[in-house]
Amino acid sequence: MNQPLLQVRNLRTYLRTGGEPVKAVEDISFDIAQGETFCLVGESGSGKSISALSVIRLLPEDIASHPSGEILFNGRDLLALADAEIRAVRGAQIAMIFQEPMTSLNPVLSIGEQIIEALQLHYPQMAMDEAEQRAVTALIQVQIPNPGERFRDYPHQLSGGQRQRVMIAMALACQPQLLIADEPTTALDVTVQAEILRLMRQLQDDTGMSMLFITHDFGVVSQMAHSVGVMQAGRLVESGLSPDVLGHPQHEYTRRLLASLPENLPKPSKNTFPSGQNLVWAETNKAQHHQGGLHSPTASSAVGVAANSLLPQSSLPADAVALEVSKTEPTASSDDVLLQIRDLKVWFPVKKGLLRRTVDYVKAVDEVSLDIPRGEIVALVGESGCGKTTLGRAVLQLEPVTAGSIAIDGQQVTGLSQRELRPLRRKMQIAFQDPQSSLNPRLLVETTLTEPMQVHGIGASRDERIELAAQLLDDMQLGREALWRYPHEFSGGQRQRIGLARALALNPEFIVCDEITSALDVSVQAEILQLLLDIRQRRDLTLLFITHNIGVVEYLSDRTVVMYKGKIVEQGMSAQVCGSPQHPYTQRLLAAVPRLVLK
Amino acid sequence: MTDAAVSSRQSFAARIWRRTLDGVGVKLGLAWVGLLVFCAVFAPFIANSMPLLISRNGEISAPVLNYLAIEDVWILAGFFIAVAVSRLQLSGGSKFMLFLAGTGVAALIAHVTVQPPALVIYDDFRSAEYTQADWRIMPPIPYAPGDYLRDLGSKGLEAPFASDSHLHWMGTEENGADVFSRMIHACRISLSIGFIATGIALAIGIVVGGLMGYFSGVVDMLGMRLVEIFEDIPTLFLLLTFVAFFGRSLYMMMVIIGVTGWSGYARYVRSEFLKLRKQDYVQAAIASGLPLQSILFRHMLPNGVAPLLVAVSFGVAGAILSEATLSFLGLGVVDAPSWGAMLDQAVKSSTFNWWMAVFPGGAIFMTVFAYNLIGEAFRDAIDPKLSRRGGSES
Repeated sequence: MNQPLLQVRNLRTYLRTGGEPVKAVEDISFDIAQGETFCLVGESGSGKSISALSVIRLLPEDIASHPSGEILFNGRDLLALADAEIRAVRGAQIAMIFQEPMTSLNPVLSIGEQIIEALQLHYPQMAMDEAEQRAVTALIQVQIPNPGERFRDYPHQLSGGQRQRVMIAMALACQPQLLIADEPTTALDVTVQAEILRLMRQLQDDTGMSMLFITHDFGVVSQMAHSVGVMQAGRLVESGLSPDVLGHPQHEYTRRLLASLPENLPKPSKNTFPSGQNLVWAETNKAQHHQGGLHSPTASSAVGVAANSLLPQSSLPADAVALEVSKTEPTASSDDVLLQIRDLKVWFPVKKGLLRRTVDYVKAVDEVSLDIPRGEIVALVGESGCGKTTLGRAVLQLEPVTAGSIAIDGQQVTGLSQRELRPLRRKMQIAFQDPQSSLNPRLLVETTLTEPMQVHGIGASRDERIELAAQLLDDMQLGREALWRYPHEFSGGQRQRIGLARALALNPEFIVCDEITSALDVSVQAEILQLLLDIRQRRDLTLLFITHNIGVVEYLSDRTVVMYKGKIVEQGMSAQVCGSPQHPYTQRLLAAVPRLVLK
Repeated sequence: MTDAAVSSRQSFAARIWRRTLDGVGVKLGLAWVGLLVFCAVFAPFIANSMPLLISRNGEISAPVLNYLAIEDVWILAGFFIAVAVSRLQLSGGSKFMLFLAGTGVAALIAHVTVQPPALVIYDDFRSAEYTQADWRIMPPIPYAPGDYLRDLGSKGLEAPFASDSHLHWMGTEENGADVFSRMIHACRISLSIGFIATGIALAIGIVVGGLMGYFSGVVDMLGMRLVEIFEDIPTLFLLLTFVAFFGRSLYMMMVIIGVTGWSGYARYVRSEFLKLRKQDYVQAAIASGLPLQSILFRHMLPNGVAPLLVAVSFGVAGAILSEATLSFLGLGVVDAPSWGAMLDQAVKSSTFNWWMAVFPGGAIFMTVFAYNLIGEAFRDAIDPKLSRRGGSES
């Protein structure tokens, strides 16, 4: 068994979409040995998924072609197989699981039926009893509780993590030799991700299968991979054993990617910046000096604290700096609270029956009290469905508040009419997660930016407002000509910058950032995070940064608030919360985060 | 600032309009509709039995003007007001209001001042004594739609170009009236019923549907019940009932078709708005404190209008066909010709006369087709992904 299970040799995959062929995969080669996990890692569009789909030949044949290369699986070239032969290999010997557990199961068939269908496809002679038995076994393997009962459940009755388990069970039912997993945990919460990853490692130990694991998350790579391939623009720029690649990256791109991870981003207090980002930072410092005298007296104390943490203190580790701040903090913050939330409840009624009587409530946010000090970045952490986004939207009165109060700068926000609320809208803004839907596709960037200014009487004339909008884009490091373009002409990271520019258009004091970097690649995320620190400093902003990414929290925030099932379970200075979590849930959350800290 | 940037600095509506015109199909569609508008407005001057100008005994008169009906006058006035207003430097809203006000005033004045002769005997204009003139200018088609040419001994149902003595481009119908003339005068009914009935339906549908979708909850529930009530009204029977009680009136027909036809548009708009209101950019617009009007009509409507436009182009066609149906049932407008009624005549006559079916049928087809072309171009224009970036990239 010295021959590797899968050998990919000089694979090229070209896609014909419209005119020019897209060279999605350019000349990649890698081996996967029996029982080994090979991780393909790279940013979106790097060709990692296309590579995986090429291996299992799932790309539509009319648009995809392979000008060169061979894929040897057990010594047979998969690219040379006929359709009927590759179908016998697919599922039975090579199985695949996908990213989105919500859409990869058929909603109208029970999960048992779906597993049995996969089995019967490859073993037509298998009896129904045996198929059922093996399906239940597969469910037991993936640790679904009560597999006998869940067997008849439909996908909508399962949680996201359970669905991904069912997907794995389906893939494993035929006992494949190779499992291709395309970002299997990206859509899941970190604690669920940790469980799934553990499960997959365990199943690999039990069955001795090989895995081709595709991910963009280096933390996951470090936990899963025996060997790693780093892809950039269709090429495999570096590959090797996992500890070698992650520990001693040879290629410039790998190094840059690793340095972009939030846990490896230079804290503002250090001076070691990766190349290419120095410029941004130099600009920031300049701006700081420039605007030093412009801060209002009321904000000066908070700015002092914030600036303090930004001063070069290279002798102290970052945690120590933050801790030091936290010791001096409570007295300063108590009398300078920008946003005060008291006993906030956002309950969504569950209505049933003919008369639509309210039978129950979904308590999205339940009795939350929170103070956000002026000039600080408060991270709101939690898993999906914990109410963090609802809380952020409730602050801006985008969700109706059931009970409780929200006050910004001492002014009540709750219980106001839209008209009364309008002047307060200037003070608080929001930036969203999804770059696809955060900008109106039918409006020019210029209109998106200047319309709120016009409504709030900022800028005397249209030309003046356009000038202000252009300056905003300058601040966001986008060119002025971006004003006259439509959102679909921009990349995800650029759109997030425009989204931030829109939030800043009214010159607010407070911005809710709702997972603004979650949909972005790590390198783009790093740029946006640095930009955010920069504008926060320049404009004396207070941020409520909603995220599920602990690395981002540690990098960015002054304070951390942890939410679980609609309630705040822990809050405090970030270094404290992340360094020595008190609440069991916080501890579990932090333990689940896959990290990759550079030595 | 580059030229491209300056050219992009037009208002939202102007940009959409410019891009709508950016195609061949839409130009053909607009040309056809433009032709219809021209025919509808100037029908009395294009096809009429009386001379446009006549000089008798050195005295020049314009008999056409004397015989103009009240509606002729205010349609003409409305047209010229629209042309004048569109040249003013005003915002779209105020232009529209000015147009409405101007037309209203013109209609009022026309009602008070214009008193056309109650009875028109077209034969008189061909009498020997009347034609004894120094010179006269006749309309291109020298027959009025209601002129049955009895003095000429017309037996009706004459095929195009059949008679040597009197030229009929599209033949004559069973009563002997010229089909081309009737076609031209019928443009009015088809145009106006399509535009106005659909306009009424669209206005009600967008407002009701938009409010339902945006506010959802109780507003949505009440609105949907209202939609269901209106969907249960059988438009045709309502029209029949109203015709029975109040006589035959084109305007009543428009209002009834409009008032009962909005429910479909409301449903489209509602479902689109329900989807859109949770979009981040709408939330951002709310968070920026933009007025409701802007959120609904600037941020949501253009993103939700695509399915509506297809529905509208069919709605216009449907309204034209509704009128044709009524006319077919013999309940249409009596005194004015309509394409539907003409088709009906083609069916009713004992022998099949192709010219009676082809011309009105073709006109209905062309009109529906033109509206479809325009609707499609408009839909593409409001989608920036589909539009070619008119010069601003190159």
